[in-house]
Amino acid sequence: MDEEREDWDDRERNDEVSDLVDRLRESYNPPPETPREEMWAAVEAALEGRAGAGARRAAQVVSLDARRFRRGPGSRWVAAWAVAAAALLILGIGIGRVSVRAPGRPAAVADVPDPTAMRLAAVEHLGQTESLLTLVRADARTGRLDPQVGPWARNLLAQTRLLLDAPEETDPTMRRMLEDLELVLVQIVGVTDTGTHDVARTRTELNLALKGLEDRDLMPRIQAMVPAGSGLSGTE
Amino acid sequence: MGDHAAFKALYDRNVDRIYRLAYRMAGGDDLARDVTQETFLRAWQRLDQFRGDAAFSTWLHSIGVSVALNELRKVDRHRKRERPLEDTAFVAPASPRLDHEALERLHEAVDELPEMYRTVFLMHDLEGYSHGEIAVVLGVAEGTSKARLFRARAKLRESLGDAMQEYA
Repeated sequence: MDEEREDWDDRERNDEVSDLVDRLRESYNPPPETPREEMWAAVEAALEGRAGAGARRAAQVVSLDARRFRRGPGSRWVAAWAVAAAALLILGIGIGRVSVRAPGRPAAVADVPDPTAMRLAAVEHLGQTESLLTLVRADARTGRLDPQVGPWARNLLAQTRLLLDAPEETDPTMRRMLEDLELVLVQIVGVTDTGTHDVARTRTELNLALKGLEDRDLMPRIQAMVPAGSGLSGTE
Repeated sequence: MGDHAAFKALYDRNVDRIYRLAYRMAGGDDLARDVTQETFLRAWQRLDQFRGDAAFSTWLHSIGVSVALNELRKVDRHRKRERPLEDTAFVAPASPRLDHEALERLHEAVDELPEMYRTVFLMHDLEGYSHGEIAVVLGVAEGTSKARLFRARAKLRESLGDAMQEYA
């Protein structure tokens, strides 16, 4: 492409416009240095996490979790929580679909998205995610990953993807947050999948994941959408 | 892992231009990163669709511009962009002829350009893409790219009005 690039001062541009363009080149959304490595870390993590697609992908993650939950009684509370959260999520999706379906009306009309139930499920989901991220932050400081983090993060990742795949979730702010969340969760799952007990490595990899969290201002955005106490009110 | 290593090489070769263009279009780091990352992810998923009848970088840019435009349509960020005065103070014009206020108006005028003109303007005038490249990336004729650039510049001149006359 570089060989084909035309001279910047091509014949079309008169001097008057040329000066303006020069000013704009300096001042209009001037790009900073490319954050190459950070973006590659996110791309690579997502490549690892995007083996499948949509619900199939989410189902794989959930079924993997189910196998892990059977390993011992220590993780029973995680399993119980996961079942409850998944039920809430599915309920939310179901309510979102059913609540707008008036009897006797054609499906195409009845399927008008009603985001209320989805929003409730999503806000609840964000509240759980905030708890996980707080735990991961603490683990990043010690370099010792709580064994519950892995299955928990996988489950939240699966649910994040379910929410993203749900047609009822049309709010761009929420969708964008879920997309950001997906990337961070993929990175955390990636760290837990390595199964390393190397404290320094775990700390480094968790910090990398958390950097993505901070770069995207994810925690303040989550906190803004999940009011303290209720968890379900006061959203946009 | 070998595939990832090869893909990393392609990433290294192209990421700067993709990110720069995304940043120009998006006006912020978060969205530019999202667009860049999503571009490479989609490229990875569609590698089997790359037929080699255009340069890889051109194909990649086609994906990138499409992702960027879709994202911008969703958030409509470039039209709601707020640019506090202090943010632009550091790029105060070297030329005293174009004052700060006029520069702000110029930025707003670029924001307000119709999408098809703005994209060509940013690609050609600010990021140095050739009309040939733009034509392939956007899937239009080279003449269309030139026409859009001409109209974009005309609209900028028009929207600046008096400031442009003072500046000229």
